[in-house]
Amino acid sequence: MENEVEKPQQGIEMAETLSIPSGEGSVWTDVSSLIAAACKDLPDGELIHGGNFSLFAAMSALEIMDPKMDSGIDNGRYHSIDEAIENGAAPVPLSFDRTVDALCIIDIMDHLLACEATWHKGHSLAQTVFSCLYLLRLDRTSSHALLHSYCRVVHATCNAIISVVSDARTHEEEDLFTMAYGLPLGGEKDDRCLSNLNAVEETLCRQLRASKALSAKKMAVEDVEPLQTNFDLEEGFCKALLCRLRFRKHFYHLLMCMRRPQGRGFDLARKHISSCLSELERIRISSEFLRLVASKICDDGTLVRTTASGRQPVGFDANVNIRSSAPAPPRAIRTLSWKMALEYFEKLLHDLDIICSFSLDPLLENVLRFTVQFQKLQPDLVARAHLQLLLIQDGKLYGRDPIFAVICRAAALPEAVKDHDMQKNEFVVQLGQFVINLLKILCTNVAWQRRKLGKILQDWRIIYVQLELAFRKELGEFSNMSNDENLSMKMAKYILIWVEEQAYWIASRFLLLGFELDLYSSGEYCMVYWYIYVVLIKLAEKTHFRILASFDTAKRKGKKKRDSLMDLARDYQIPPAVLLLQCYICLADGLTTMLAALRNERKAFLSPGPFNTEHERFIQHFEHLQKACMPDHMSYLSFKESTAQASLSSLATHNHFKDAQRIARELKSSFAHDPDRVAELRHIEQVAEHNSIALNVISRVGALDTTLKISFEFTYHPYFAVAVVKRS
Amino acid sequence: MEDTKNEVEKVAFEASEIEYVSYGGEHHLPLIMRLVDEELSEPYSIFTYRYFVYLWPQLCFLAFHGDRCVGTVVCKMGDHRNTFRGYIAMLVVIKPYRGRGIASELVTRSIEVMMESGCEEVTLEAEVTNKGALALYGRLGFIRAKRLFRYYLNGVDAFRLKLLFPHRPPMLANWEGNEVQCSDDSSKQYQGLPFECC
Ligand SMILES: CC(C)(COP(=O)(O)OP(=O)(O)OC[C@H]1O[C@@H](n2cnc3c(N)ncnc32)[C@H](O)[C@@H]1OP(=O)(O)O)[C@@H](O)C(=O)NCCC(=O)NCCS
Repeated sequence: MENEVEKPQQGIEMAETLSIPSGEGSVWTDVSSLIAAACKDLPDGELIHGGNFSLFAAMSALEIMDPKMDSGIDNGRYHSIDEAIENGAAPVPLSFDRTVDALCIIDIMDHLLACEATWHKGHSLAQTVFSCLYLLRLDRTSSHALLHSYCRVVHATCNAIISVVSDARTHEEEDLFTMAYGLPLGGEKDDRCLSNLNAVEETLCRQLRASKALSAKKMAVEDVEPLQTNFDLEEGFCKALLCRLRFRKHFYHLLMCMRRPQGRGFDLARKHISSCLSELERIRISSEFLRLVASKICDDGTLVRTTASGRQPVGFDANVNIRSSAPAPPRAIRTLSWKMALEYFEKLLHDLDIICSFSLDPLLENVLRFTVQFQKLQPDLVARAHLQLLLIQDGKLYGRDPIFAVICRAAALPEAVKDHDMQKNEFVVQLGQFVINLLKILCTNVAWQRRKLGKILQDWRIIYVQLELAFRKELGEFSNMSNDENLSMKMAKYILIWVEEQAYWIASRFLLLGFELDLYSSGEYCMVYWYIYVVLIKLAEKTHFRILASFDTAKRKGKKKRDSLMDLARDYQIPPAVLLLQCYICLADGLTTMLAALRNERKAFLSPGPFNTEHERFIQHFEHLQKACMPDHMSYLSFKESTAQASLSSLATHNHFKDAQRIARELKSSFAHDPDRVAELRHIEQVAEHNSIALNVISRVGALDTTLKISFEFTYHPYFAVAVVKRS
Repeated sequence: MEDTKNEVEKVAFEASEIEYVSYGGEHHLPLIMRLVDEELSEPYSIFTYRYFVYLWPQLCFLAFHGDRCVGTVVCKMGDHRNTFRGYIAMLVVIKPYRGRGIASELVTRSIEVMMESGCEEVTLEAEVTNKGALALYGRLGFIRAKRLFRYYLNGVDAFRLKLLFPHRPPMLANWEGNEVQCSDDSSKQYQGLPFECC
């Protein structure tokens, strides 16, 4: 690299001028001649390898003047924001023709919206929203009320969003998102942005009214100066601008409402959401008008995707602050189209609406279910950050319920114990931290989430052991288990049951997410379903215990003690939550057996490799569960033993899918009030039904018929596959 | 990767005509660079190539058809969180020669050397959309251990693929390069500089 010769010299010059003092045991010497000699010895691209030169260092090295790597390269455009502005890249006003000016402003608004969506989707702020020269020098626009107010509110919105995401901060995903160094961001200027916006909106309303009055051949009601000079276009322009301003206003309000503690602003937020959605619709509709105008006024032929009019927006330059964007090569970014940006914001608004509609259910079980359901919608970072901030504020659930109280409720303990001294136990405190941590993890993107869930499994296992020891030490042996007179004893018992249940819940989510992330191949399905099966059995068992306990607690409230056991026996039915788990257990069992049978009898889905065996793949997939002993004594050997005898004929006699179908059908009435679960039951039925049919076909044709092609697809459920049988 | 897009004219050849050679020195470097530059979009500086081929020449292979270099694999190995692991950094076969097992042969050779050198496992990253590479590695016994959210410059997710070797008593070989620090896939990737493939 030619420039390398210069680089060290620059370093030396710097050292001299800044006269950095010599450090301990080191002094400055002039090494120019040494370097010059070395340069002669070292041709272009060669490398002296030092021990600390890692791949990281190699990859960080930039080839100067290589356009793919060197972000400082002279790109032929402007070298600085000031230079761009001096050269007229961002004029204020945009045109002295006020019609053109109005059109240009709308283009800027649209392109900014596209940039903002692109930012939310994971690109840097510097290369998206802050490619806008007007935003980079906000003060320059102050003479232009319309442009200024819009830029101000975008600026304020960026601040608000950054603050939500950085407060939620759980994952490096956010690093790039919130990285704003070198950009003119910061709070103080935002206060007045809404009053500005309202004033401009007011003016536009008057202009719109005036133009309507005029076109209705009435006299001008007020003495209003029109927005621009072409009378025929006045109404269209006013409308196009109004919906854009109003969208920004409601969007900003919405963000403010959502930040109020304990979800207190949610009702109002929902109103703003619905206003935002209607304004977005108006924005969409305005595109027809704008395209027409654009083609009339200044048709230069080329259409861009990022504005409603299709015109190239003025005042953007993605390169001027590229140097501040990252110490890495510039990411080649493709700004979302204006249409995609509208879709993005619609999706975001719907996701936020779901958060705002949440009942702030105090029962942890329901909170977990809500977050899992929410994640199924594949919300983006901004929506997830909002959810997380709702769930955990000031170390409390919703900023409202202390975690110990949440744990007690989850563990089916009576309300009264939430002030019990036990909450001071160091392991109980730690358990509280784990609950908070779990909730945060459940708000991260699912790829990251799964990795974290795998890692925290051990924490939950260990805390279980520690709690058990601590309780034993404090309370003595649990041998006298029926003695619930002792409140502490009872608490300890219930909490332990719940911790185990929770750990198995995490394990099941970890395993199931593997399907969502497409981590399993069909040759691995057999062991995956087997593992899901053993984990779900444990989960169902613990859940059942816990619900029995809560039943017990509830009963005791009103009755004398001696009645309770009898009542228990009389009223007792298996709770719906456990039966639902039972459905999954049947499906997992059925799939394991079917796959094992196909392997045993048809040698299908075996996937041998030259370097290792299924045993290694088992270890890799279930390492986290195995380390946490979840469940105890489960190993590859257990898997092999329990599947070795599987055959299609035995499946025919005991059809697990039929069981799943039956239970699902019976359960529908229990969940009649819950549409999500009714839909889930329907999916379970479909999976069960289709697999039963497939089994029939396979057994009828005979397992050895090689013309049958069997594959597994996720047509009816994201986690439970159906066998698809074809004749080849 | 996108062999299907514009039908590439395949070259007629016998599998036995392909010659596989281990990295033999400076004269091979430009061949490797040209192949990788053409097929992968991530920018690699010359230092990246040198880093690999000088430290682990034994893990780098080239496939020749006559004089023409038609494929290459570039790897490394080193300690990573208490395991000694191999890492496949780049794998490329030029379009007219794809689908004939050349890539499989190349990686197999690297993996064999890694195994002999005492690696406990081999890893790499591949785009979730790279069906060809995923199928190839799947057949060699790699599992998809993790999904990496928006791993590549283009915003696409990656899979981290892993191949675990059957357990053997720990070896006391004098590994080359085991002092080299690997920070390539610590959970926090250097932003914007992941490997595209591999
Ligand atoms: C991936 C790549 C190296 C494969 O090279 P190749 O020589 O064609 O691979 P092979 O012939 O050894 O393929 C072996 C197996 O992989 C699978 N495979 C390879 N390419 C495939 C494709 N396009 N679609 C589906 N499967 C494919 C097949 O299972 C194949 O076995 P089969 O031919 O017996 O069915 C080549 O396509 C390439 O250079 N791509 C661009 C760079 C790249 O993506 N590298 C991998 C980065 S991780």
